[in-house]
Amino acid sequence: MIIRTGRRQFLRQAAGLTALTATVPGFLNKTASAFGKAAPIPGLNDDRVLVVVQLAGGNDGLNTLVPHGDDAYYKARPKLGVGAKKVLKVDEYLGFHPELVELKGLLDAGDLAVVQNVGYPNPDRSHFRSSEIWETASPADKAWTTGWVGRYFDSECAQVQSPVLGLQLGERPAQTFAGPRPRAVTLANPAILDWPADGPLAAGLEKINRVEPTGIDALDYVQRAANDTLALSKRLKEAMRDAKSPVNYAPFEFSQSLKLVARMIAAEVPTRVYYVSLTGFDTHAAQANRHAALLQELSQGLSAFHRDLKARGLLDRTLVMTFSEFGRRVAENKSAGTDHGTANVMFLTGGGIAPGLHGERPDLKAIDESGDLVYKTDFRSVYAAVLGGWFGADPGRILEGRFEPAPVLKAVKPTA
Amino acid sequence: MRRSRNESPAWDAKAAAHLLSRAEFGPTPETVARLASMSMEKAVDTLLDEAAEAEPPERPDWVKDVWVNTERRYADTTREAAAESHRTTRRRYAAEMNQLRSWWLGQMIAARRPLRELMTLFWHGHFATATGKVNISQAIYAQNATLRRLALGNFRALLRDVTLDPAMLMYLDLEDSDRAKPNENYARELYELFTLGIGHYTEADIKETARALTGWTLDGPKGASKGRPTAPDTPRDFARDGLIATFVPARHDDGPKTILGEKGRFELDDVIAIVSRQKATGQFLAAKLIDFFGAADPRGELRGRTAAAFEESRGEIREMLRVVFTSPEFYSEASRGSQIKSPVRLLVGACRQLKLDVTATPSLAQLTAAMGQELFNPPNVKGWPGGKAWVGAGTLAVRYHLPDALLDGKVPAGMEPLGSNRFLAVSRDAEQGRAMMDRIEGAMAERRAERMKGGLKCRFRAEALFPQGAPQDPAALVDDLLGRLVVTAVRPSTRATLIAACAGAQPDDRPAAVARLILASPEYQMA
Repeated sequence: MIIRTGRRQFLRQAAGLTALTATVPGFLNKTASAFGKAAPIPGLNDDRVLVVVQLAGGNDGLNTLVPHGDDAYYKARPKLGVGAKKVLKVDEYLGFHPELVELKGLLDAGDLAVVQNVGYPNPDRSHFRSSEIWETASPADKAWTTGWVGRYFDSECAQVQSPVLGLQLGERPAQTFAGPRPRAVTLANPAILDWPADGPLAAGLEKINRVEPTGIDALDYVQRAANDTLALSKRLKEAMRDAKSPVNYAPFEFSQSLKLVARMIAAEVPTRVYYVSLTGFDTHAAQANRHAALLQELSQGLSAFHRDLKARGLLDRTLVMTFSEFGRRVAENKSAGTDHGTANVMFLTGGGIAPGLHGERPDLKAIDESGDLVYKTDFRSVYAAVLGGWFGADPGRILEGRFEPAPVLKAVKPTA
Repeated sequence: MRRSRNESPAWDAKAAAHLLSRAEFGPTPETVARLASMSMEKAVDTLLDEAAEAEPPERPDWVKDVWVNTERRYADTTREAAAESHRTTRRRYAAEMNQLRSWWLGQMIAARRPLRELMTLFWHGHFATATGKVNISQAIYAQNATLRRLALGNFRALLRDVTLDPAMLMYLDLEDSDRAKPNENYARELYELFTLGIGHYTEADIKETARALTGWTLDGPKGASKGRPTAPDTPRDFARDGLIATFVPARHDDGPKTILGEKGRFELDDVIAIVSRQKATGQFLAAKLIDFFGAADPRGELRGRTAAAFEESRGEIREMLRVVFTSPEFYSEASRGSQIKSPVRLLVGACRQLKLDVTATPSLAQLTAAMGQELFNPPNVKGWPGGKAWVGAGTLAVRYHLPDALLDGKVPAGMEPLGSNRFLAVSRDAEQGRAMMDRIEGAMAERRAERMKGGLKCRFRAEALFPQGAPQDPAALVDDLLGRLVVTAVRPSTRATLIAACAGAQPDDRPAAVARLILASPEYQMA
């Protein structure tokens, strides 16, 4: 423990030094590798990690956490309602979709927190817009351009030296990471960062990309990005050399993404927030089978990840949080599907969660004029809990407003 | 030496190379020599005339004269038949889209008049329409043909045709808009992103415009029999009879409207006329063109002159381009070598400038997608943000693989996603589950093979670039290749690194070795 602190202290100083001497701040690859093992993130007080899981397309919360004790549910969903007998009962009123076997196991073991009926005022039912609202944490009538994590990086991690403070596995950069300075990387497949480390081309590549400011803004920007990319490539390759995972994951994209994230956390890639997506929740027609497959992937992926982290001893410093841009309309449509709705459920697992159900359950009799749920927990109060309770940041500054933190985390104080 | 803004720019080989780096996919010694021998005005005229006269390319062979909906459902279509026709149709659409992407890249690489293709790409980003929502390959092809046909034509004509373009009618929901429930999606983007820009219209203008645009929908050819009826509530994709924009008077709201201060019983043509008359439209388009072609315009004067050309010519796109390409701003120091190349510009430019032997395959199009620019699939209706957004660690990594990909036809690892989606819930019975997983994994491998079909067919031959033989002296060879390929300032360390790498390579490998490193240099990312 003392050695660990000492090493970090050293890295912090080295980081400061580099920032002072280099014209363009580079990456501490060489310093870190001098210790033989990858370093935690210099400049941060703790080694906590957040994994954001996006359920893209709008997950049907009512068929995820099923109100099997409510007749109004079955009345609204004659075809799509999940039968009370099939539901994995949590209590007299609520139960999990039958494909969420593994998540139910986590809940029973006290390893899962479920926030019900999460949303925001004046809900927007467009995918683009509502995703934007969740990712930027902006009020529905404002169009903010920076992401909530991007603002956290900007205001609390300004001194942190890492080219990959945020890491997204996916194709399109998530707005969650958008900020005044790019601090996050989006990769469809990190194998793209693999090119020969030796030989004349590798040496030339490194030399030709050494930063030498020209005064042409865009060219200097490319040089810095190039430098970061080369450092990241080296760092990831080093980190990922040991490719073994202690548990088996399904061969699908979401599960494989989580498998990779676990490996990267274990390898101490200097990443504070990971972002992965499970796509396909926009179930307007023939929803039942499609949604079952998605929930099975969610359940098996998250539980494999949980077991993996536990086996590696990383569970205490990893928090996982799911979100989706909206839920679905209470009543099913005529194509045996559901249309865009409003409030929804969020799951949290990993270090420091306060397990069990949170928030007020949705009232199916008090729906709005479009036939949608009226939210009770603002998603920004969940973000506030994560920012304050997990990262020890000032949520009011990042969210530009006061949101009472949802009690989804145990009262854990970040280590000073 | 900095010239004053009003001084006309010196026209020389460097200026010609700069023009070609923006108005084409990068200069070659031949095209530079040709333009540099003319006056600037003549050179720009030549580019514009030739682009305007370019013959349209031959269409892919799967494009039909009349599109037939092969996933059409009827009242008596069984569930199984509907599922089957849906599956086979979507699989075919996906395969055709793969072909269409490589087809367009192939046109850009081979184009004798690249400005026409470049302007088609500009309009594709402007009138962004994505296969995420519109997956009918023929509709996407048709839109591409429309954008190409009017790429340097009259904006008003282009706007009208785009409004009634089948892919656009689907993408922004105009096909489902009627007097009972006018859909505002198109009206909003028409003003916000296509013509006026934010701040030049009100919410009321959007509502009124949506009413004026009602009545248009997609239908089969006139007079064609309607055939059997559709079951009620069939989703649009399975009920559509054709891709022909058709006006149905009964669906149109013919009441009086007030749009941008004018009153009347407006319909489509009135809306197009009104919005084309607005000063804000010329200003908005001018700014987008100036940004796309990368002229530094700190005082907005070039924007004003370009917008004036729009107004005077009543919307001639060519006249706007003429103003941009002959402006002192475009040739100013601040404008030169300062633009980050888009993935398509980068890849097409490399193929053209290095005179590679290329057959455009789906994998080639995958490369631009991996760099952040998948043709026909812009991220959203705003198109690609461009500029610095093109460059991140992930996309830059793909750029570093371009030398291997383009010079040797090697498909980089990591181009494929980590896995595919789970489309079916797997049985929780151990034996059944295992059998299902085997089938699924087999199907995943098959799809992967389909996407990579044909691999990359590119090859570098030094003889193509140097028919008389390449310079022997490393410094001479490096300077020759830098002169051909790079338009921005070359850092001293770049040149030194290249010369060292060149001297260290076998004489036969030298042109390729230097070309590789240049492709991976920061300088080559700039236009």
